[in-house]
Amino acid sequence: MQLKHYSLALLTILVVFFTACQDEEYALPTLEGGLHNDCIKRTLGPNVVGLNIEFAYAMALPKAEGKILSAQVEASIAGAPATYMEYRSFSTNGSGVDVPVTIGSPSVNSGTKTEVVFSKDTCAATLRYYYIIPEEARGKTVKFTFSAKASNGQTVSYEMGPYNVAKMDMKLDLVLSDNNNSYLSIADMAVYNAATAATKAASIDLVYLYRTYTTATFNHALVAPAASPDYKPGITLPAGVINSAKIWKVWALRDQQLARLQYGIFIDDLDFQQLDFAGAPDYAINLRAEAGIWVETADGKYRAYIYINKIDNTKKEMTISIKRYPMQ
Amino acid sequence: MKKYFITLIAITLVTFAWVSCTDFPVDEDGLLITTRGQCYVGNFELLGADFQTVRTKAAVIDTTAQTINVEVFFGTDLKNVYPQFSLVTDAKLDPKIVGKVDFSDLANPKVYTVISGNRLVKKPYTVYVTVQAKP
Repeated sequence: MQLKHYSLALLTILVVFFTACQDEEYALPTLEGGLHNDCIKRTLGPNVVGLNIEFAYAMALPKAEGKILSAQVEASIAGAPATYMEYRSFSTNGSGVDVPVTIGSPSVNSGTKTEVVFSKDTCAATLRYYYIIPEEARGKTVKFTFSAKASNGQTVSYEMGPYNVAKMDMKLDLVLSDNNNSYLSIADMAVYNAATAATKAASIDLVYLYRTYTTATFNHALVAPAASPDYKPGITLPAGVINSAKIWKVWALRDQQLARLQYGIFIDDLDFQQLDFAGAPDYAINLRAEAGIWVETADGKYRAYIYINKIDNTKKEMTISIKRYPMQ
Repeated sequence: MKKYFITLIAITLVTFAWVSCTDFPVDEDGLLITTRGQCYVGNFELLGADFQTVRTKAAVIDTTAQTINVEVFFGTDLKNVYPQFSLVTDAKLDPKIVGKVDFSDLANPKVYTVISGNRLVKKPYTVYVTVQAKP
């Protein structure tokens, strides 16, 4: 019995050693014939109307089998007129710089399709495709079919998506100033001076002001028109400007699309949906660059994130970028 | 040989059983009750809704009077602040802080009780908040 067990253990060890020591011969991979393609999406973050979705579409076939004739992309929703496909194939050199090689004529948009016709005798190319998100795609999904044709009659295609297009809007680099354009409308995503604000009183959500005191820290502030006079000293509101927005102060939420900095943070539709403004105040004072505020308009129609790109104490100015989500 | 082997296994099992059954006392929160009798607040912080401090300067903690005095910036939204207590080792706080706290009722300061590691000493600390003067 004991001998039998020893034999079994010995056999197992031998099998393990034999398997572990078996060496696989390396063989050069054989070139697969025919036209092939591949695609990657290069842009990150939410797809916002007006921004682009960038892809890199690669296609190739063995040189002996022919050349590429054309590349085409068909989107499920036609892109905005500025949509295009590169007619240059890029490769990255040793310094990390993208070097272009022209392979054909500039792309032509026709309805939902964008096509590049090759004029260079080439058997491999990687073309970038920039889909400019149109208004029609807001809140919908969009998908893409990339395809290529070769001179040997072969065609290939590659499906990408579907991708959600956000419902939110975006506006960059609005400049608020203490002595001029100090009224902000979330509905219009615009800043106004007092005279214009008086004509758009119902849509004014926030007032910008900059104050310095020796006894208290105030500095740059965004307050709702209905906020306590303590938080808008020296401000005489135009007639009818009475809205009461709800505000949450935020620090270090540097959305990449708003801040355009190195941080990989993106605010998407879902973030606005999940906000809870219960008990939120109607003012935010002592605001700093790279901080922000979540805002809900008085009528509850919009929620927005206002990112502070820059503050200027001398000019008494604040540069902001906004993402706005319609709640109704 | 077999007899020794069985004895060895039996001893091991008994040892394991004894070790696993040793009871360390824990309180109703599942926290270990230790022998420490110290009971005080080492540090106090108050954060705004943006998780940034709202203090104008360090909080003054009087461990004899069992008070914490903290001044906050003008305009601090005291209805939505997060207090943070640093306690002596093994101590715990009652009530627990599980989110935003409303400190806006300045006339009725909040009281937090520090409970020592041995759970025998309880010291209530009163948090007095003052707001930076209005400009």
